[in-house]
Amino acid sequence: MIRSLLISATLAATLAVATPALAANRLIVPNVSVAVAKSAMMVTADREWNKLGARPGPLAESWTLDGDVLNRLSFYGGLINGATLFREVDRKNRPLPKVRADMLPTDIPALFEQSYRIAENSGLFSVDSIEPASIGGASGVRFTYSFSKQGEDVARKGEAVAAMVGGKLWLISFEAPTLHYFDAGITSARAIMASVRLPAK
Amino acid sequence: MRRITSFARRALLATTLVATAAAGQTAPPIPAWGGALQPQDRDERGLWMMSSDDEAVLKDSRFLITDKPLNDYVRGVLCRTVGAERCGAVRLYIMRVPAFNASMSPNGMMQLWSGALLRMRTEAELAAVLGHEFAHYERRHSLAGFKQARAATDAAIWASFIPIAGLALSLGALQGFFLYNQAQEKEADLNGFSFVMQGGYRTGAFADVWERLIAEEDAGRVARGQKARGGRRSGFFATHPASAERMTYLRALARQAGDTADASTASHRAGLGPWYARFLDDQLKLNDFGGTEWLLADFARTEGWTGALLAARGDLYRLRGQAGDMAQAAGFYREALAKGHDDPETRRGLGLALLRQGQQAEGQAMLKAYLDLRPDANDAAMLRMMAGLPPKTATGPTT
Repeated sequence: MIRSLLISATLAATLAVATPALAANRLIVPNVSVAVAKSAMMVTADREWNKLGARPGPLAESWTLDGDVLNRLSFYGGLINGATLFREVDRKNRPLPKVRADMLPTDIPALFEQSYRIAENSGLFSVDSIEPASIGGASGVRFTYSFSKQGEDVARKGEAVAAMVGGKLWLISFEAPTLHYFDAGITSARAIMASVRLPAK
Repeated sequence: MRRITSFARRALLATTLVATAAAGQTAPPIPAWGGALQPQDRDERGLWMMSSDDEAVLKDSRFLITDKPLNDYVRGVLCRTVGAERCGAVRLYIMRVPAFNASMSPNGMMQLWSGALLRMRTEAELAAVLGHEFAHYERRHSLAGFKQARAATDAAIWASFIPIAGLALSLGALQGFFLYNQAQEKEADLNGFSFVMQGGYRTGAFADVWERLIAEEDAGRVARGQKARGGRRSGFFATHPASAERMTYLRALARQAGDTADASTASHRAGLGPWYARFLDDQLKLNDFGGTEWLLADFARTEGWTGALLAARGDLYRLRGQAGDMAQAAGFYREALAKGHDDPETRRGLGLALLRQGQQAEGQAMLKAYLDLRPDANDAAMLRMMAGLPPKTATGPTT
């Protein structure tokens, strides 16, 4: 545990990325269904997670196991036409791409990629696979991706499930450094993805 | 003989450029090269140490492009521009960052970002950017200015014109960036100009770069509902020469110099090789519709609307996805196919644009055509379903 903490601390320091600590983090207890992303999306965790106080966007929420630079599970709850995945980082000069109600399954990873390239400075971002999947009973898409953030140079991997339901985007993504953390967290992340329940249209 | 030629060329440069009074500027003769710079005092040694730290990070960066042909091409242009001796002092790092920037640190580390390579139309323009950066280095501008700076970069100058560049002012450990003052920028422009001339490149390339940066920035701004600035003031600080002013004096210098040399357009595109398409793809994903639309039109001015450019334009419209965009995108993809553009991705783009418009049968047929060409595409499983085909494997898709 101490060793793991040490590794976490060292990595965090190396990455020089501070966790925004504006709002308090909260413990997510296992086996209890909770509403996420200020929406009617319900998920159940199979182990303890920490809910981060800082949200990526108004209708989004992130959880972590060891700290958000080491593993991050994010929920986006019912983004409507014209919404952005993240809060705008520079609306005037670098606006984020907008959700469109008529997006096809393949448009979701494209929107995701563009948003990361802009908001996360992920000039090296690739969508590695896209396949059909169901999310909360809705027919949607599962995609995997890999990326690095500029100025950080850590190889990261991610996996997400998403669907357009009634013109709204629902999405859950898990990402972590390729080295150790992705494999360590993906099983629990997939279990949470499988537990999701979406509101009826 | 070489010595005489070189001397004669310098003398010619001096006489040609002495009286460029049009904008009150002259490009100085190139001084004798005293060898790679070495730090001379405590401040400079400190600056070098920090630069070395940055360079160590850069060397291992995942953003570093190590492709030999691309590096050979850029280094070749640099060496032709500043001469073999000076070129030997430079360690070149080409970085995969979709923004216009180039920089040179006091220890001889030169960075060139892929967004700059994409925007250069000619070898001569590349020579202008590289010559300008080398001049900052040779004139020790980084030391003469703010000493807390970690790297001498023109980020604020080059990049403030391209909105997307705001994302990319630092790379690796290069957290700080250096702002040269107005006099230093002019000096680097003028010294760089002399290098471009020495290299036998079209000197008007310098002004061309500025002119197009201004136009691209304005196109991006207008598309985002803002007013065009026309390069009247520099993006970051009013203390820097406005791009319009720089364009004017560089254009005047070029006229004075005769400006008949070769711009080497074709060789630049050849030098980029397969990277051109990759850098263009990076640009398309920046959601800078106006700027990118302008860039594509600018490329088309040089090479015509090729199938590749039409397909890229289709992608641009499809990615934006506003009302009417899908019909436009489908039109561009069709034009690309009509021109014999054989990249299978064009069929994928067309199929998706048609499906988004509700043209189910035609869209599915196009996706099937794509899957015939790319059965192992990384999104084949998804596209098969969208095309109305059964899952390919017995195990079927993940659910």
